[in-house]
Amino acid sequence: MYAYKEQDKLFQSLCCEVSLSYIAALVFLSLFFSHPLYLLALFFALNLVILSAGIVRQWLTYLKFSLTLIFLIILVNALFVRAGATVLLYGVSVPLIGNIRITLEALCYGAGMGLRLLVMLGSFCLLTYAVHPDLILKTLGGGWSKIMLALGISLRLFPLITDDFVRITEAQRCRGVDFKVRNLRQRLEKYVPVLHTVLLSSLERSFQLAESLHSRGYGTTKRTNCREVLWRPRDYLVIVTVLLGSAYGMALVLTGRNGYGYYPKLQPFKEQEIIIAVCLALFFCFPALLDWGWEKWRFLRSKI
Amino acid sequence: MKNKIFILIILLMLLLLIFGLIPNNPLFSANWALISFLFLGVVIFSFFASFELRHPSAKEISLIATMAALAAVARVPFAILPGVQPTTFLVMITGWVFGIQTGFVVGALAALSSNIFLGQGPWTPWQMFCWGMSGVSAALLGGRNKAFDLLSFTILATAWGYIFGWLMNIWHWVGYIYPLNWKTFMATYIASFPFDTLHALGNLVFSLAFGTTFYHVLWRFKRKISVIPLNHNKD
Repeated sequence: MYAYKEQDKLFQSLCCEVSLSYIAALVFLSLFFSHPLYLLALFFALNLVILSAGIVRQWLTYLKFSLTLIFLIILVNALFVRAGATVLLYGVSVPLIGNIRITLEALCYGAGMGLRLLVMLGSFCLLTYAVHPDLILKTLGGGWSKIMLALGISLRLFPLITDDFVRITEAQRCRGVDFKVRNLRQRLEKYVPVLHTVLLSSLERSFQLAESLHSRGYGTTKRTNCREVLWRPRDYLVIVTVLLGSAYGMALVLTGRNGYGYYPKLQPFKEQEIIIAVCLALFFCFPALLDWGWEKWRFLRSKI
Repeated sequence: MKNKIFILIILLMLLLLIFGLIPNNPLFSANWALISFLFLGVVIFSFFASFELRHPSAKEISLIATMAALAAVARVPFAILPGVQPTTFLVMITGWVFGIQTGFVVGALAALSSNIFLGQGPWTPWQMFCWGMSGVSAALLGGRNKAFDLLSFTILATAWGYIFGWLMNIWHWVGYIYPLNWKTFMATYIASFPFDTLHALGNLVFSLAFGTTFYHVLWRFKRKISVIPLNHNKD
């Protein structure tokens, strides 16, 4: 039922804290960076990790969806921003926009921001498809026991409610209700009793669930929890590179080298910036490199 | 205690704003997308924390989980239709009947749990916030009315079709558009107008078709769980 599918890949086998740290580091760094080279480095590293995690098909779905968003970002930047000096196209006057003046800088800014969006989407794609949701709940559940309990129960109820809906629709169909009627209003009217019954049965179930929780001792004493987390060498290796990469990224932010001058003219890339981008890419593609070694050498696999 | 926490949260938000505006600190160089993320984090955190501190009973927990699951399930078949989201209606009717906190938590959890199946993204915290706040607003309106007022509910639900889109546009506008001025703001909002209208129309139809029925079912259930208390938690 989950979007997540179990695979024999290194990223999936990492301890949840490590995978979440990797994803959080990428999301926050992409929000801090506006330099296209650094964003490109993160994007490159992320793609390698996605490839190694075996979720390319799902990533392509994300990419397809993000194309519309990126197009909108570039369009709005190109049409409305007049700060650029390199004019590519002059056009007619349009209400609200004024004279159309598309500049290279605005297009590049739009593309840069599109890259930022891709890094964020890629990170969330990893979160959805390469980290087990139950492990996330367990990891975050320590301090948020009630919220996580409610979330856990709602995830368990998801397939049950879907089954209820299918079962009740089938029952109605057996009684001669036609759900494929063309008139939209009539069709909606036929669904009203179905959804009404689904709601009723779900609420009844919730009452039974409450009794069950109560009979198992929920709320009678302070909640206790015990969770053993197995940290393997691969977890230590990845967390060290994530921490190093994050520290390196934050050092760039604190020294004010995370930005890039798009306006009024695109600033040329310096050699030092290219080296920084390569270092960032190396830090964040480490899980992919490790996965490659993991797949290739049994010895390494047995040791980490 | 509650007032102190409230003041602390407001101060925290003001600090975030100040750090975003004053030069020579790391948040100044960060963009407004990050600051808005932190803002949302503070709001969601405060609602969740107050829920945790209230020690909800087993019945509340299971009710919230059920309504969140229902709202999340309702979202999936409509995912192919951009904008149409029965989740908003379900969260709002829950908020109307069960109050502010339940409304917010159901909205936030519905967004989080449905995205576990549909796919997480930078939009998840924003959806959590928007659906949570739609539940809060319905609860506030419900608190002012003694009986269910379908007209007021439908107007609010329809308005939330647009408010939801306008709030969601913020992450797009602050995160990916430069400069942040009136023109780019308008352009972003115009681009989302058709989707927001679909959402509003969907809410209107769902409210008219299911509003009264669902209200009666939920109200009866509320009375049922209030009349037969299991117990109050002491942990």
